[in-house]
Amino acid sequence: MATSLSYREKSLYASLVAELAVYGPYFFLHRQNSVNRVAGMILAIIVLQIILQSIIAAFTRNRITDERDRLIELRGYRVGYFTLASLMILGLGMLWFHAALGHFPIEGRWVGLHFLNVFFGMLVISDIAKTTTQIVTYRRAL
Amino acid sequence: MPSIRNQIRELRAARNMTQQELADKVGVTRQTVIAIEQDRYSPSLETAFKVATVLGVRLEECFQYEPRGKRS
Repeated sequence: MATSLSYREKSLYASLVAELAVYGPYFFLHRQNSVNRVAGMILAIIVLQIILQSIIAAFTRNRITDERDRLIELRGYRVGYFTLASLMILGLGMLWFHAALGHFPIEGRWVGLHFLNVFFGMLVISDIAKTTTQIVTYRRAL
Repeated sequence: MPSIRNQIRELRAARNMTQQELADKVGVTRQTVIAIEQDRYSPSLETAFKVATVLGVRLEECFQYEPRGKRS
């Protein structure tokens, strides 16, 4: 039986597209990353999300959400949280490792930007994990 | 696979009701009705009662509990 996408599902696909379109080039083509580029990226994701979500809302007649939507949302947030916690533990472990060895492989003036990228990367990966989990759960029906 | 089975599709068809009509009356999305009919999602007790009420049957005529492993 063919099942068209619900409003929430369309919204999730749009979010994933926006995240991959904005964060992908930043993290995979990371030449001359700077604080300004991080700010630009945040602005770009906000603008892109507003545009995409407005288009979806305009073309979707039935925009109700129900108990299944809420359960799927919670499942996504649970996966997102565990991903973020795991990455944080991994990151702290690596910091401890470098501290124990007594060296830090990054030049002093780049430390701030490096940490900004690392923590922002963790948030991005967690968010993509959350969105992907929700999309997969919708397809599997729960 | 949930251990709650249901006869929603048959009951709905007997009343010439579409999935969208049932969804609107119960207050869920059509995708949720589809998932329930395909036994891929067990609704909450509240939604189950609403479905039975809309279809005009008792809850046990609409939903049946089958413990896992006892299904033929």
